[in-house]
Formats: sequence, structure tokens, C-alpha cells
Amino acid sequence: MQVDGRPPARSGPGEDGSDAALPTADPSGRPEGRSARRTRILDGLGLPARLVLGGVLIVAGALKVGRPLVSARAVQAYQIFPFDVAAVIGYALPVVEIVVGAPLVVGLFTRVSAVVGGLLMLAFVVGIASAWARGLSIDCGCFGGGGEIGAAQTAYPAEIARDLGFALCGAWLALRPRTPFSLDARLGAR
Amino acid sequence: MSSTPQGPGSRPGDRSARQAKIDAAAPKPSKAKPILIALVSIVAVLGVVAAVWFGTRGSQTDPAAAAPKGATGATGGIAVTTNAKAGAPTLDVYEDFQCPACMQAEAAVGPTIRKMAADGEAKVVYHMKSFLDANLGNDSSTRAALAASCSADAGRFQQFHDAVFAANTPEGQGYTDAQLETFATQSGVTGDALNTWKSCYSTKKYADYVKGVEETTAKAGVTGTPTFRVNGKDMDLSKVNDAAGFRAAVLAGGAASPTS
Repeated sequence: MQVDGRPPARSGPGEDGSDAALPTADPSGRPEGRSARRTRILDGLGLPARLVLGGVLIVAGALKVGRPLVSARAVQAYQIFPFDVAAVIGYALPVVEIVVGAPLVVGLFTRVSAVVGGLLMLAFVVGIASAWARGLSIDCGCFGGGGEIGAAQTAYPAEIARDLGFALCGAWLALRPRTPFSLDARLGAR
Repeated sequence: MSSTPQGPGSRPGDRSARQAKIDAAAPKPSKAKPILIALVSIVAVLGVVAAVWFGTRGSQTDPAAAAPKGATGATGGIAVTTNAKAGAPTLDVYEDFQCPACMQAEAAVGPTIRKMAADGEAKVVYHMKSFLDANLGNDSSTRAALAASCSADAGRFQQFHDAVFAANTPEGQGYTDAQLETFATQSGVTGDALNTWKSCYSTKKYADYVKGVEETTAKAGVTGTPTFRVNGKDMDLSKVNDAAGFRAAVLAGGAASPTS
């Protein structure tokens, strides 16, 4: 968005991606070089990462937010926190998921949101792995539901793999927070 | 802030039309960003506080609330054995009136449990869970538990309990008030007792008790229904083949189940 043709001080290619949404506004006026194109493509990958991580957080939060008791019981079923602490976590978690997911979808505060979202996913992975290791038979309760289920119905590996995938989206965005079609780019936010 | 659109020396006349459009589309970062940070933070904090407040309020009960006749405590189960033999084990039964697995269990071992209670072979205590309401998005587990509590006051808990499970209602269909009243009359609540039952049920006399039982049992680690505990230990139903095996396991004081 260097509209007045004065290139800003940039520390190197890829460091400043605030113009990623408007690639033709290259301040140099030259056709974009190889490294610029690479930057654009890598930044572009951030868009699906944002939509996947943000989208899944919003969906997971929305499915649980209207049913606080279900969410509380799901957290309590992990038997990690004291009963009442687990209830409070259960009440708060759906809201946290939505509040973290919504900015990601629109590309606002991408790096901070991605770090928080990715850490949330890692926490879920730890919780699920812990339940698995302790021989509990529970549903992860990720999208509502949760609680005790039959031993044959558990899906720990799949749940862990899925959440690790989401965590990777967060890690990618933490490293490359500049993504196309983001409010951050519009606002020139960092 | 490398992308400040309004740099010094940039006058409108210097720009192409396209650049002007880009410029117009880009809000000034210095103002919008802090406002958005503040907005998102406020939404986050208010949302979490509201969710915790709402959730906590929903599970809070009055500890001094009344418990129905036969309850072992303010949030205890309903004890149905009146003539327990010396050394009889305690059999705690945790059920939700809407739980299909409970209906199957009742069909398989319900008569055995009733006979053991009648013969004094086990101190049978029924804990009415109501968690499925939250899962199914209705309130039938709670209303059925309220109705059962009112039946307990009339001395007809076991009969009411059996009538509900015998109806074999499909999961999610729930119970109407009229159905619950029919279960009450089927269980032998009639005449004046039925009038008392009706007022007990319509005023939700045992709402706090039912909520409290759900909380207490969850706190005690009962996360699924049905759960059977003998002298406080979970029975391993996978090791029980039939009603006779169930009775033997209960009489063994839960010895047939792993202590985990």
C-alpha cells in the first residue's frame, strides 16, 4: 500500500507483507521477482490456514456455547482439573474459542490470534493424550457431546491428529501472519 | 508502520485514480487498530464472564432444599430397601429416565434388582441423573425425576420408576406432563395422594433436589448412565452375563468387579 511511490524501509524480502493483498502495488514498479512471488505464495497459504483454524474454532465454540452443562461435563470427564474448576473451564471455553476464531477468519490480529488458537489446540492434544494414557473412555467433547463412551467408540488417535493439524495452522500463521484478504493488511496492523 | 497511506508530500493531485481508491479503502491504522483491540478484548471478557455466570447459576442449588421421602440425604438417592439383611451390600443405581441404555439395563436386570431390594439382599439406592436434558435439548429427564420424587413422597418411587422404563420411550421423544401423570397413576398414586402428587409436580417442589443429585453424582465420578456401584465400587457390567450373574456380583460386594 505504498501509494506515494516511496518504498518504506524494509529489512528484507518477505518481512513486509502488508501489501500482500495488493501485489501489483509493488513500490519498485518492476515486475515482481522470484523471491517476491515466493513470498506472495507462502503468504497466500496463510489464508486457508486462517480459515481452517478460525473456522473450526468458531464451529466448535458455537456448538457448545448454548449448552454450558454439556461443556462443563465434557471437561469434567477428563478428570484433569478439580470438579468445580473444570466446570468453569467448560463454561468459558466455547466463548474463548469463538473470540479467538472470529478474528482469525477475518484476519485480525492474525499472529496473536493464531498463537492463542494454536496453543488451545495443543492443550486439547495434551488433554486427549492424557485421557488416553490414563485409560479413560471418553469422547473429546470437542464439538459438543463428550463424557464417557464405550471403550470401542473412543477415537483418540484421530482426535489428536486432527487437533495437531489445527495447531500446525496456528504455527504457520505465527511465523507468517501476513495473509491475503486480511483486516490486518487493510489496517496496516502488525 | 510502513504502509501509512497518508505519507508526507502525498497530495491528492499526485495520485492516479486507482491509487486514490486504494487509499480510500484503507482506514488509518493509528486509529482503527487500538479501537479494535479494545473491542475484541471487551467482547472476550464480557463473553467469558457472562458464560461462567450463566453456567454457574444453572447448576447452583439451595443446599437447604427439601428432599423427597426415602432420600439418603439432601442430594442423595432414593433408598427403596426397607428390610435389609445384616451385611447386605449397598447397590447404587445411577440412571437417567431418558437413557436408552438404562432402559435396556432395566429390562435385563431390573426385576433382579427389585427382588433383591424386596428380599433385603441389597440396599438399593436409585440416583436420578438428568444430564441427558442438556444433550438432547429438552427437559424430560428433569421432569421425570421431579415426578418420580413426588411419587417417592407417596411411597411409590419404585413403581413409578418401573413404569417409566417399561414404557420404553425412544430417546429424544421425551415425556409429556400427561404421560408422567399416567405413570404416577399406574404406579398406584390415586385419590388424595394424586392431588398431592399433582401439586408437588406442578410446583416443581424437588427442582433443587433433582439438580443437586445430578451435580453430586457427577462430582462422585458418575459420568455415564447406567452406572451400578456396589459398596461404592463401579460394577464391570462387561463381566456380567445375565441377571443371575448380576445378583452374584452384587452379593459378592462388588468383588467381581475390578477396583481400578
